[in-house]
Amino acid sequence: MSKFFQKNNPKRQRFVPEDKPDKSLLKGRAMADTAPPDPEEIKKRLLENLQQAIKLEHSTIPPYLCALYSIKDGTNEFAVNTIRSIVVEEMLHMVMAANILNAIGGKPAINTKDFIPGYPTKLPMIDESFIVNLEKFSKASVDIFLQIEKSAEHPEHDGDDYHSIGEFYMAVRRDLIKLNELTNGEIFKGERQPQVTSEQYYGSGGKLIAVYKLEDALEAIDEIVGQGEGIDNTIDDPDQEMFGEDIEYAHYFRFNEIYHGQKYKPTDSVHDDPSGPPVNVDWDAVYNMQLNPKMSDLPEGSPVWQKMYDFNKTYMALLNNIHDACNGQPSLLITGVGLMYDLKYKAIELMKTPFGEEGLMAGPSFEYVQ
Amino acid sequence: MKCDEYDVVIVGSGIAGSVMAKTLTRAGKKVLLLEAGLQAGIAMDKEGAYQNYQFYLDTYYKAAAKVPNSPYPNLPDAPSPDVLDIAPIPNSCSPSTKGYLVQAGPIPFASDCYRGPGGTTLHWLGSTPRMLPNDFQMQTKYGVAVDWPFTYYDLMPYYEMAENEIGIAGDVKEQIGPDVEPVKNYGKDYVFPMQKIPQSYLDQTIIEITNGKTVTVELNKKEYTISYVATPQGRNSIPEPAYKYAGVAWNKKTQKLELEKTDAEYDPVGSLWDPYTGQRCEGNSSCVPICPVQAKYNALKTLRTADHDNLDIITQAVASQVLYDKGSMDITGIEYKKYRYGNSPIYEKGIAKGKIYVLAASAIENAKLLLASGIANSSDQVGRNLMDHMVMLTWGLLPKKGFPYRGPGSTTNIPTFRDGDFRKEHAAWISPIDNWGWAWPTFAPGSDVSNAVGQGMFGKQLRDHLSDIIPRQLLLHFECEQLPEPGNRVTIDPRYKDQLGNYRPVIHYNASEYMQRSFEAAKKVSDQLYKAYNVQDFTSYSAQNPDHVQYKGKVYNFAGAGHIVGTHRMGSDSNSSVVNPDQRTWDHGNLYLVGCGNMPTLGTSNPTLTMTALTYKAAEAILKQLEN
Amino acid sequence: MNTNNHATFLTISAYLTGFSETDLLGTGMVDPYYAAIRDNNDPEVLGYFYQEAATILADSHGDEAEINEAIAARLIPDSCYNGIAKTIILLWYTGNYGNDVLSTDSYKEALVWNVAGAHPPGAKQPGYGSWALPPFSV
Repeated sequence: MSKFFQKNNPKRQRFVPEDKPDKSLLKGRAMADTAPPDPEEIKKRLLENLQQAIKLEHSTIPPYLCALYSIKDGTNEFAVNTIRSIVVEEMLHMVMAANILNAIGGKPAINTKDFIPGYPTKLPMIDESFIVNLEKFSKASVDIFLQIEKSAEHPEHDGDDYHSIGEFYMAVRRDLIKLNELTNGEIFKGERQPQVTSEQYYGSGGKLIAVYKLEDALEAIDEIVGQGEGIDNTIDDPDQEMFGEDIEYAHYFRFNEIYHGQKYKPTDSVHDDPSGPPVNVDWDAVYNMQLNPKMSDLPEGSPVWQKMYDFNKTYMALLNNIHDACNGQPSLLITGVGLMYDLKYKAIELMKTPFGEEGLMAGPSFEYVQ
Repeated sequence: MKCDEYDVVIVGSGIAGSVMAKTLTRAGKKVLLLEAGLQAGIAMDKEGAYQNYQFYLDTYYKAAAKVPNSPYPNLPDAPSPDVLDIAPIPNSCSPSTKGYLVQAGPIPFASDCYRGPGGTTLHWLGSTPRMLPNDFQMQTKYGVAVDWPFTYYDLMPYYEMAENEIGIAGDVKEQIGPDVEPVKNYGKDYVFPMQKIPQSYLDQTIIEITNGKTVTVELNKKEYTISYVATPQGRNSIPEPAYKYAGVAWNKKTQKLELEKTDAEYDPVGSLWDPYTGQRCEGNSSCVPICPVQAKYNALKTLRTADHDNLDIITQAVASQVLYDKGSMDITGIEYKKYRYGNSPIYEKGIAKGKIYVLAASAIENAKLLLASGIANSSDQVGRNLMDHMVMLTWGLLPKKGFPYRGPGSTTNIPTFRDGDFRKEHAAWISPIDNWGWAWPTFAPGSDVSNAVGQGMFGKQLRDHLSDIIPRQLLLHFECEQLPEPGNRVTIDPRYKDQLGNYRPVIHYNASEYMQRSFEAAKKVSDQLYKAYNVQDFTSYSAQNPDHVQYKGKVYNFAGAGHIVGTHRMGSDSNSSVVNPDQRTWDHGNLYLVGCGNMPTLGTSNPTLTMTALTYKAAEAILKQLEN
Repeated sequence: MNTNNHATFLTISAYLTGFSETDLLGTGMVDPYYAAIRDNNDPEVLGYFYQEAATILADSHGDEAEINEAIAARLIPDSCYNGIAKTIILLWYTGNYGNDVLSTDSYKEALVWNVAGAHPPGAKQPGYGSWALPPFSV
């Protein structure tokens, strides 16, 4: 079995970047060369970073959903199925990050005001130049999605910022290993109750991993990172076919097929654009959603404002639901699925509702409301 | 693969044919499957399966009457019966020929089925209660109908196989009722592959409507306590951690089919086009006629997991004649007509050859094909004993909103009258609580809108009126067990053929007094239930409805349940049955019949589960025969 | 497109259905329904219908009770404008024009499912287990 596929699913791509020295550890060494690493400090950093990881995974979801729900019903089947499957996996990643945080005694915070990015925004924790919007499905928005999912080759750099999601997760990974070693595994509480399991989460390519020990945590990170990250020049296996009908592609490749309107064929290289059969992408069968809509664009209490407010109330109900599910009541997530569908139907209604200027439509604003 | 002689030739890719094909090919046998429906419907690749199914779905959305066959192609070359074709029958000399079935009456047969890839499982509801032990001994216990040639307990291991393959969600511990107890009927510690499908808010509303007070009804001077059971069903839900079976496999050593154990958690089987779609029922509320995400089981899921290296499939191939050697009586081939397009009269003839032949074309088509071929009928039982659940519906308005039109068609049933001494006098019935309001009898809620608008309502008044009445709609079924009667039968008549020259089934059908008495009894029970529930009864029956009977001066309407059973009954002697307990025809050593046609009696269960269990039993017998 | 008639269609639809104009816009069906009414009715009769509807709306200055009274007297009776008002209500509530489903979208957007607290069967599915709870809107 190739190292580029998941352990629990040999048909599912898994691109984990090469292990490079971690800046945070390097930095720690530079500051106190001889002192042993302080477990308390690592734990503090991990709690912080895993909370950021949940936030990071979540931050991609509203943009993907805007693109998805802006596509008119009955069109762009390929793009719809692709984006939908990716969103479901981003939610999976978010819940798995929460599982890891719970496993080391943290408390995920998912319904606070600062949890929600204000779009347009940079991705949390990732120092990259691209800006992520809430916008309709277009070649430009899919291009941004490609940037989100692809981590280019980054030269060694100074500073404690991260240049890609992969880099960020590799730091988390190493901290987990180190802390586990320093605490003889005690850091993992092994508690069953706060873990969300595949009973509550389904319908995703990746399997939800409940985290009780280090190996579970590393497997979860590999699932998260393996889907979008680490596609750089360090991986290449000429003997391995990376594409084909039965293979579940990493997010980057799935978006790239939409972008090019073409599928990969089995012999394509991961470094090239897809060269297989064309797929139909109709960039015009899309509601003309206002870029980064805000409730404050409209008079408070006006009918469309009210609709946006209703959407955001449902969005908050969903975040509250996930928050509670990830804080000791996992079975609540079953109800959360209903809220996700409700959110979808409210978003699509907005997409069909005229918004100010001639020709523009309202859209979901994903804002914090009381 | 393509060979000249296969081990087994199967006719039909519904659940019986697909289970047979999967079981045999996985045991290494070479199988040829003939399917009458369109090639597109059998696509196993993701893209093809997706596109074809989206076509069904789109057809459904646009259908004016969303009847069970509405999403699926009805082909002049392989027509399907359709409930929209039910019409009054003037007299027995001039049958109703409106649809594919030639209805000779006196009353029209009320059920349909689907002739195409995947068969009727594409539009089945998915309810899968097992039959009761007493159902297998109707003659011994109640002096009516016939006994099965074996007992419920003989069939138990095969029930477990069927429940594995279909993927049943349910709670064994809750299966309590007349002649049902978890340990007695299911064995100690047995669990279903998935946890029970949540019972609907409507079910809960009814169960709680008497504030914890038990409801009792009186029938034939006897008091009965009403109870409620969460119906086991073939749709995806949360995996049951205690379920430890992987799948059915042929054990060469013991010469038996066995359920293989595993430590892995049960993985709900998703749609044909995406394994991650349909892993849970998503509440589309359209199981009949089509589950958009394929969370509900259909036979194509089974066919896809056959060993395709050992399987050839010929579609658009309508079996027209079973050929046999007049000396040995062995079957020598199945002649089929392969048409070019579904409505083109142009076809080519072919002959499929194998060592063993299996007809899995539905109760009606199996009987028709046997009659057309003049075979397997030394008992004169072929085509006879056609049965269905005759469904008497009652409907009314609840005192509070139960919010129907949500969730699977039914999630709870009242088992109280599934068994009892009254079966000597009248039919037993099961009463599913219907989750879809008055849709079946009145075409609600569309009819509610047109009635209100017809009365001049509009605006907020209209909106308030509809949001008051529609959420309070209640519909109960009384699915009465029809007994085998020789006069209820499928025949053929050279005057009635389809455009390929194949016979159309001619149906003779009636409701005996045994059935009529059960309608009267069920209505009495319904009246008492509605009183106890404080439900305002809106049930109305009409002699204008072609499916009506008049009993003691009162008219009752019934509908078909789609449970077409009994046309080539199984039995323990060749004089009174068509197949033996292995489901091999008494008359031909290499011809097996599978499907609901084998069932000697119907019981009060939806028949698919029992029929699938029987099919495993037949598959085991075929494997034994092939290896000896 | 006659923009005056189009605007009248939307406003009178709101009064006929009991849903707000924004709710109706959110279905995305205003244009196709406007077109279906235009294409299936005698233009002269339809012209009078819009004229009468516009007059009712203008004369009552947004007084709901007054508008409803006028609609009941002057648009709803079968003798008025070939029953166009009722056709419009049925179109919005059921997605059907006469006995035919107008389109896949019209089936999915039929308002009757909304007032029932349900969803069109086979579309807008509410998710696993949703049916065990009252609808979210309640």
